Amino acid sequence: MKKILVIFGGRSVEHDVSIVTAINSVIKPLRLTKKYQVEPLYISKTGQWYWHEALADIETYTSGKINSLLKKLKPISLKFDQGLVLSTGGSISSRKLLIDVVFPAMHGTYGEDGDLMGLLEMANVAYVGCDMPASAIAMNKVLAKQLAVANGISTSNFLFYKNINYKENGQKIINEINTKLNWPLFVKPAHLGSSIGISRVNNNQELENALELAFHYDDLVIVEEEVANLIEVTLPIIGNDVPEPAYLERPMLQQADFFDFDTKYLRGQKKGSKSSLGASEGYSQVPADLPAKLYKSAETLALEVFKLFNLSGIARVDLLIDSKKSIVYFNEINPMPGSLYSHNFQKFGLSNVDLVERLIFFALEKYEQKNKLNSSFSTNYLKQF
Amino acid sequence: MIKNLFSLYTYRYPKNIAYMLQASEYDARNYLIWLSKTKNFNLVSRRKQFIKTKFSILLYRFIAGGMLLQILIGLIIIILGFTNHFVGGQYYGLAIILSYPVIWPYLILILILVAKILIINPRDKIILDKAENIFKNHPGKIIAVLGSYGKTSMKEYLAIVLSEGKKVAVSPDNKNVALSHARFAQKLTGLEDYIVLEYGEGKNGDIAKLAKLTHPDFAIITGLAPVHQNHYKSIKQQADDLLSIEKYVDPTNIYLNSDTYFKDIKINKEINQFNDQSVLGFKISNILTDYSGTSFELSNKKQTNNFKSKVIGRHQVKYLALIIVISEQLGLTLNQIKKGIAKTKAFPHRMELSELNGAMVIDDSYNGNIEGIKAGLNLIKDLKAKRKIYVTPGLVDQGKKTKDIHLEMGRYIAAASPDIVVLMQNSTTESIKKGLAEDNYAGQLIVEDNPLDFYNNLSIFVAKDDLVLMQNDWPDNYK
Repeated sequence: MKKILVIFGGRSVEHDVSIVTAINSVIKPLRLTKKYQVEPLYISKTGQWYWHEALADIETYTSGKINSLLKKLKPISLKFDQGLVLSTGGSISSRKLLIDVVFPAMHGTYGEDGDLMGLLEMANVAYVGCDMPASAIAMNKVLAKQLAVANGISTSNFLFYKNINYKENGQKIINEINTKLNWPLFVKPAHLGSSIGISRVNNNQELENALELAFHYDDLVIVEEEVANLIEVTLPIIGNDVPEPAYLERPMLQQADFFDFDTKYLRGQKKGSKSSLGASEGYSQVPADLPAKLYKSAETLALEVFKLFNLSGIARVDLLIDSKKSIVYFNEINPMPGSLYSHNFQKFGLSNVDLVERLIFFALEKYEQKNKLNSSFSTNYLKQF
Repeated sequence: MIKNLFSLYTYRYPKNIAYMLQASEYDARNYLIWLSKTKNFNLVSRRKQFIKTKFSILLYRFIAGGMLLQILIGLIIIILGFTNHFVGGQYYGLAIILSYPVIWPYLILILILVAKILIINPRDKIILDKAENIFKNHPGKIIAVLGSYGKTSMKEYLAIVLSEGKKVAVSPDNKNVALSHARFAQKLTGLEDYIVLEYGEGKNGDIAKLAKLTHPDFAIITGLAPVHQNHYKSIKQQADDLLSIEKYVDPTNIYLNSDTYFKDIKINKEINQFNDQSVLGFKISNILTDYSGTSFELSNKKQTNNFKSKVIGRHQVKYLALIIVISEQLGLTLNQIKKGIAKTKAFPHRMELSELNGAMVIDDSYNGNIEGIKAGLNLIKDLKAKRKIYVTPGLVDQGKKTKDIHLEMGRYIAAASPDIVVLMQNSTTESIKKGLAEDNYAGQLIVEDNPLDFYNNLSIFVAKDDLVLMQNDWPDNYK
């Protein structure tokens, strides 16, 4: 029985979203297969790593028991002995476990952005999802747009700024934005997902507030033009060399609104709506009701992005469409979509159980391919010293 | 071992005992068998939970109170021992405290039996005598629906169709014992044209008891299959119990499904027989079943008519056809009958269709016999789906033939070839697996050791265009 380690939580503003993704969309379905030994590894908000069965129970978090549990538990240590080994320390009741596959159910910083993948690469263990370089570029909205533009893929016009520069030349930056971009604008932290820290602005006062908010979360901020006659769509994709798309999904929003964190994950509804549908599922149209040609263009562009960025395992590509001109723009990439976007795959005909099994398969496939490559090279270089 | 021992001394123990009594339907034999087999009392309530009723709460409080009282007495005796007022009090007191989990599960049963003899039985007799009088003097006709399976659906379908032209009263839900009918009798107005009653049977003599109480004019026997084999000695005895209705109803007013196990039983020729092909001279043909329902043609030399119902499954047609013919004989017009048949639909947990994340789920968890299993498996052969998933824990109360029946069940499942078979781990699992292997089942087999977890997470197991058929239930008191 293969041992799967599901890592979640972490030092990220999307910590709580990660818990739900891990427990509901990864651990439960993997366990239902009866094929794997599934182990939960929780990273606290302060960065300690814990390994305990109670961490796989959502009630541990919803009831607040997590705080007392963490006080009782000792953080684990990792060893890279012929792979990734979990170890609970040197006491009599110590446990060790050699992991076959890691499932990083992490969102945002120190998890989805490539940091964790670097560690897993060092351990030479198979893991689900995009590798370190792909994750790092995908989670940097600036780098991602620059790479897209360099490869002839359309994006909305954008500028980007570092916090230190804004502090020194705030007014100059405001002026530059006014000169080079057309209102309305979106201001976003460059590395965060789940719509955290994002604002839509119509004037300088709103822009200043939005920049301040975005810099609160990130050192790098991107400011981009809003696409006119907007239809926003997203495409979850799985696979390695041969990407397999699910349905193009369209959030049901109006141009005047956008989806902040609460809307996406708490209400599942457009901002201000009183009804309460389930998180991330109640507000979207799957498949997106677009003219066939436009649907195909959007799907093709998303698949092109998946290949260009060398994404693997799973990712979600977000696109913006000018519905009057039928132009599709690349917006951003989410290398570990919340809840794996399993609701979309289910409608496409792939159950959550089958989805996680496919992702394990892709992880092992990628791992095998990587290990076939030669990583040593004999030279006489050292002899000259 | 230690966990098992500790389970006797948890705060949940009194509630676990109350739950075991409740889940055994306060049947002393079933309760004692369960009690003797239980090792860890913390695990008795895996499939279902303690249901709060006036009686069950009273029982729970009585058990918990009794246990606390025993502990208190033990403590007092220990104190008396330490203060030299009771020689050896420490040991006697400790023994009294430690023994409460052993004493109360049996003591409460004795108290229930005493209460039954002194209070419940005399009270019930008054209610039953009153009810018999109501049924006996009621001007309407009484139709009894009995059989090993399908009787609740038959009763409901019949009531729906007859209601199109008659005043009909029908016994509620699946309540089918003497006391429930007695309570139902008190609600009758006396203005009903027809009263449709479901007769439950669990042991020899049950049918006769109900017939004596309710004085039926007609009887419909829906079928015969092995059930309650822990009480009936054989399928023959079970058949005799059903056929004992002949003593109370004119054989020409009895309608019997002659398919399945009745084929091997000698039947009085005066009894009307029906089956999948024909019903009282009418031929059944052109059956089509899909997720929207079932349509069929009913014809004799004089007429041919088409009907459509919302219920799914070919096996339902013979029952609907019988209702059509009986309804015509009782004076309903063709239009009234067609309208009634169109209204018939599945009832909760009986081939009940629902949608879950784009998958179609058929809940047939109230099925409890091999004939129902065959009907369900035939149905999934008929229905179109991207993936077909069959879920079952197996059948309870199959007596000495348990292994054979589950082996046969495994073969039927293999023949229907669903893509995935999910079995709930219990004493029948190996026999089903053997049957699957013998008929070279090639799909995916999952054995689930936590049924509740599986059912609760079914939504993540399925996807659009899947078909899931869930048959049978496995109460906690079965291993």
